[in-house]
Amino acid sequence: MRDTIHLVAVYSKTTMRAWFQYRVDAFLKSLAVFLREATGIIVVFFTLLKFDTLGGWNIYEMLFLFSILFLTYGIMIIFFTGLRDFGKTVRDGSFDRFLLRPRGLLFQIIFVNSDWFAALGHGGLGIALFLISAGKAGINWNVQNALYYVFTIAGGVLIQGAIFLFIAVLNIYLLQTDSLKEMLYWNMRKFAGYPISIFHKIIQTLMIYVMPFAFVNYFPAQYLLRKDDMNSYPEIFMYITPIVGIVMYLVAYAFWRFSIRYYKSSGN
Amino acid sequence: MRLSAYYAYAKKQFLSRSAYRFDHLMGILSTCLQFFIFYEIYRTLYGSKESVDGITMSMITTNFVLSLGLSAIFSPNDYFVPGRIWDGSISTELLRPMSFKGRMIAENVGDACFNLIFKFIPVLLIAIFTTGMEKPAGIGNMILFLISAILGYGVLWTISFLVQMTAFWLINIWSLITIKDVFVNVLSGMMIPLWFMPDWMAGVIKFTPFASIYFTPVQIYLGQLSISEIVFKCGVQLFWTVIIYALGNVLWNKGQKKLVVQGG
Repeated sequence: MRDTIHLVAVYSKTTMRAWFQYRVDAFLKSLAVFLREATGIIVVFFTLLKFDTLGGWNIYEMLFLFSILFLTYGIMIIFFTGLRDFGKTVRDGSFDRFLLRPRGLLFQIIFVNSDWFAALGHGGLGIALFLISAGKAGINWNVQNALYYVFTIAGGVLIQGAIFLFIAVLNIYLLQTDSLKEMLYWNMRKFAGYPISIFHKIIQTLMIYVMPFAFVNYFPAQYLLRKDDMNSYPEIFMYITPIVGIVMYLVAYAFWRFSIRYYKSSGN
Repeated sequence: MRLSAYYAYAKKQFLSRSAYRFDHLMGILSTCLQFFIFYEIYRTLYGSKESVDGITMSMITTNFVLSLGLSAIFSPNDYFVPGRIWDGSISTELLRPMSFKGRMIAENVGDACFNLIFKFIPVLLIAIFTTGMEKPAGIGNMILFLISAILGYGVLWTISFLVQMTAFWLINIWSLITIKDVFVNVLSGMMIPLWFMPDWMAGVIKFTPFASIYFTPVQIYLGQLSISEIVFKCGVQLFWTVIIYALGNVLWNKGQKKLVVQGG
């Protein structure tokens, strides 16, 4: 156990060193990610200056909804960069090296790399939005709600991690999954910044049952904000984000364990 | 004879794009999704209202279809010059008996033609059949829209050209290109119709080239401008194209002198 902690510390130190080798460049890249992700928020800000509310949600409530999405992604990418880039690891054959080392595969994938620019860009944006909106969105920050928030963030991280793990496993069978990830993950994520109640029923179904982004930010935000549009969904949806996260992760993990036996190296 | 070489480059680019079918379908899907997100947002915002500040829902729809569609056509290759500086191939390309910039334009135009036929038209058809888009205000407006759209392409292309020139000094310009895209996306009216920008913001945008890219053609298409306004706004488009190109050209000439190619 102590050995494991030591290994994690060494890995973290080397990845940090690698990513921040060129400081100005690192700062510029993080800033660029931050601004790119903030585009949608700037648009919502200007739109709501004109229209006040979107489907009953005011600007602070919207920013709070966005903040959960970015915060969970920022935390998730610290751990799951290796899975995001797993296709490359499989294609260039460097996955074979992992197989030879005396540690768990997933352990190595999780700790040998972290995209710190994405983590700082997304996470920094999430924290900034949280600080702006948390006080003004009318949330009562008692102990119960604060605990709920912590668990729901963890659940949101697990949900997205499970999706990344699942798509990573597909690489073992398909080798090339970048377009699939683009279609499944990034395209659906575009809808996630907004209250899903404003979208077509098909999109709502996809967001709840297929790519469950609704459990990452919409339903948790509803628990804390209690907007009227929650009436069209079962009340239980507001409470199960951590469970959805754990179940999805376990299923994805089982799929990983099952598939890894079929791994065939692409290299020589 | 000279022109035919550029034509060959444009054609080559057009044909090479047809090889990546799946990527291409993803591109169409992505543009359509973006359009439907904006459409649903504004449908919710409008609710039962006929118009807001004299702007109707169908005008909003038209703005999004045209500006997202034009942006799908334009998409100049921001990594044309940086890519060639990174791998050093720019040194041999500069030796060729044809203009490097001419070739760059030719390839981008080939790209744009491909996007026009295989990206813009499908997206346009989907949008027409699923939502209410306005017809052009008249034949004259349609022709002027096309001219203004080409001028808009000029503005966007020169902005890309200017940013690419910094690659002579900065090794990694991904950050700069990304930040440029943020400015273009927000201030050009592609993501928020410029009618709804607050006054102070509209005042700022007036002095930037961004509104010339998509918003001027859209306004002409909708018949929102009088003839004298059209002439003025097209003049503004031309003005920005020339100014930004001249700036980029200064950097281009300086850059070639200090060009450092790694390896050889």
